Amino acid sequence: NFGGGVQSYFLLLRFLVLLNLVSFLLIAGFVVIPSIVLRAVHSSPANHTGPEECMKYDPNPQGLVAFYNYVLDFLSGMGFMEYSYLFYGYYSNTLVGDRNFSYNIPLAYLFTVVFYFAFCLICIMAMGTAARIAVATGGSAAGNYSMIVFTGWDYGCLGDRATKLKQKNIHYRLQVDLEEQLMKERAASLTLSQKVVLYTLRIFLGFVALGLIGAACFSIFEATVFSQGILGLILEYLPSIVITAGNFLVPLLCEQIALVERYRPSTTVILALLSVFLRLVSLGVLLFTLWGQIKCQVDLEKCDLCQYNHEEYPCWETRVGQEMYKLTLFDLIVTIGALVLVEFPRMLVDNWSNKVARWVGRQEFVVSANVLNLVDGQTVVWTGALFCPLLPLINTAKFVILFYCKKVTLFANCRPALKTFRSTTSNFFFLMVLLFGWAMATLVMIYSVAIHPSMGCGPFRFFPYMWAIVPMSFYRLSEVTQDFLFFVGSQAFSVPLFALS
Amino acid sequence: MGNKQTIFTDEQLDAYQVILTKPIVVFVGFFSPSRLHGRYHELAPHLVPMDYTKDPDCKLPLALIVNMPELKENPFRNRIVESFSEDGMGNLSFNEFVDMFSVLSEMAPRELKAIYAFKIYDFNVDNYLCKEDLEKTLNKLTKEELTPEEVQLVCEKAIEEADLDGDNKLSFADFENMISRAPDFLSTFHIRI
Repeated sequence: NFGGGVQSYFLLLRFLVLLNLVSFLLIAGFVVIPSIVLRAVHSSPANHTGPEECMKYDPNPQGLVAFYNYVLDFLSGMGFMEYSYLFYGYYSNTLVGDRNFSYNIPLAYLFTVVFYFAFCLICIMAMGTAARIAVATGGSAAGNYSMIVFTGWDYGCLGDRATKLKQKNIHYRLQVDLEEQLMKERAASLTLSQKVVLYTLRIFLGFVALGLIGAACFSIFEATVFSQGILGLILEYLPSIVITAGNFLVPLLCEQIALVERYRPSTTVILALLSVFLRLVSLGVLLFTLWGQIKCQVDLEKCDLCQYNHEEYPCWETRVGQEMYKLTLFDLIVTIGALVLVEFPRMLVDNWSNKVARWVGRQEFVVSANVLNLVDGQTVVWTGALFCPLLPLINTAKFVILFYCKKVTLFANCRPALKTFRSTTSNFFFLMVLLFGWAMATLVMIYSVAIHPSMGCGPFRFFPYMWAIVPMSFYRLSEVTQDFLFFVGSQAFSVPLFALS
Repeated sequence: MGNKQTIFTDEQLDAYQVILTKPIVVFVGFFSPSRLHGRYHELAPHLVPMDYTKDPDCKLPLALIVNMPELKENPFRNRIVESFSEDGMGNLSFNEFVDMFSVLSEMAPRELKAIYAFKIYDFNVDNYLCKEDLEKTLNKLTKEELTPEEVQLVCEKAIEEADLDGDNKLSFADFENMISRAPDFLSTFHIRI
């Protein structure tokens, strides 16, 4: 009723909720529940320890803690929340189980995360193929005026409200096409000097946009470096604030620039979609800075003892997990805040006074910005899943809240967005963007698996790198199992298997 | 038939199975004449006889028919009923009532639907879709929310796209050609009863 774009958004949201829920069940089943239920029986698989300095890790504060500290801790993931099942640091590095049965927690942790990534990829590909079929076969040629006029009306439409919505639908479809038409005619009718001016303006504004993006990245970098040393809630949240501000402001400015340059609506849409790269790049900058700090790019001698900055980050995986947790939470708070503080008053204004509403402009549900928010949130969850196993659960709850909030917003406040998408192609495009976010998260995961885990906490305490658990566990299996697995992995077996499938 | 009230004779029922009068084909697969008769009867119980075996001559006025729930909200309801009435004023006999719903059903062929769609959009009944017809169609579609300039622009563009013989209005051939390229015409030109 509001156009195909909005439908795509809600479909994507539903898909992500399901994905997160299933992933959480996976992680809970293989990692969290065994950790809770079973007790440690054996000592660590790795029989060596590290220097005493590196093993110091004390997340619980001493003495009396004021009540408001609990709220602060909940919002920043520190204090009582830090040493809990929420973060990596709490999981044991031993085997757990009872007399007859032992369960290798570190191995399970690693494999679950790897499988989680593979599972998400499969789901996205499945949705993608479905969407691509829709692109190939369906989708009427919109923009064809006679089609809209003569076949636009659905005679089966019953009821007053459905009829009104259908009429609005047809109305804005025509308006979109008319707008594009006008833009085309205007562009075609420019004289040579006007064209030169326009292109110069475009190049200049392109540089301005690039400069803005660069400034945003730099401020994220500075904020991250600044916030790492000192406590305090605002400073804790500084990277999240800067990222959210950047994500909000830069596309807005680009949109204004596009209006100045009088681009066609489809170009504006492409610009809006390009801001996905800005969002993912800001996340990348945050992570890059964090790792720079952890691996001591600045003060090289701090890392000599434990190969990571053990003074400021006794448990660096938990730290990274906390940053992701804060990003997710902050996103949710901002969305709900925007809903209550911005959209609700606008709705009241619209209902009371038509004149003021016309001046301020009726609310529009801008699909692109909302979809990018979703993709961004999901990428943060993927990046943080290795360090914060309960993050998919938090994200499921967040997306469910988001679903109902957006639904309320849509029906109560908004009219359909004028710059609408062709829904079939947009479904496919959104999934491509999601895939890009997944790829970035996978890179992060691969990098984390390859660097030195912290020695004070976590399931991979004394391994040189996380992946080392696999060979170690492999050689503890019985001879028969080892031979069987070698055989399966060897060429004699796997090649015919691939040929058959 | 058994103990069912005899509304139609057997010959009439056979006739209703497949009637080829003018270009109309009646499809009884999805709805029986008795059910449609029930709907027709409830529009004016005192006017419509229960017994159709003697082929009564009974026509219901436009005002009664457009009050049906399936048609009430449709912006083209008046034109739909007028197109199926013989006198062009919207007074439908039961035969014409059945014709209307069979053309608008899922089983009617595309050519038949195109013929009647053309009749519906032809407001001045001159067998051509001229600019005024399009303007009226557009206003009914968008509930007059477009500005007059936009209406003019859309009508010009629509005629430009579909007009093949260049006479600045759409004949039935132009219309049918355009409809044949529309993928969802069959599904939108459909009323379920």
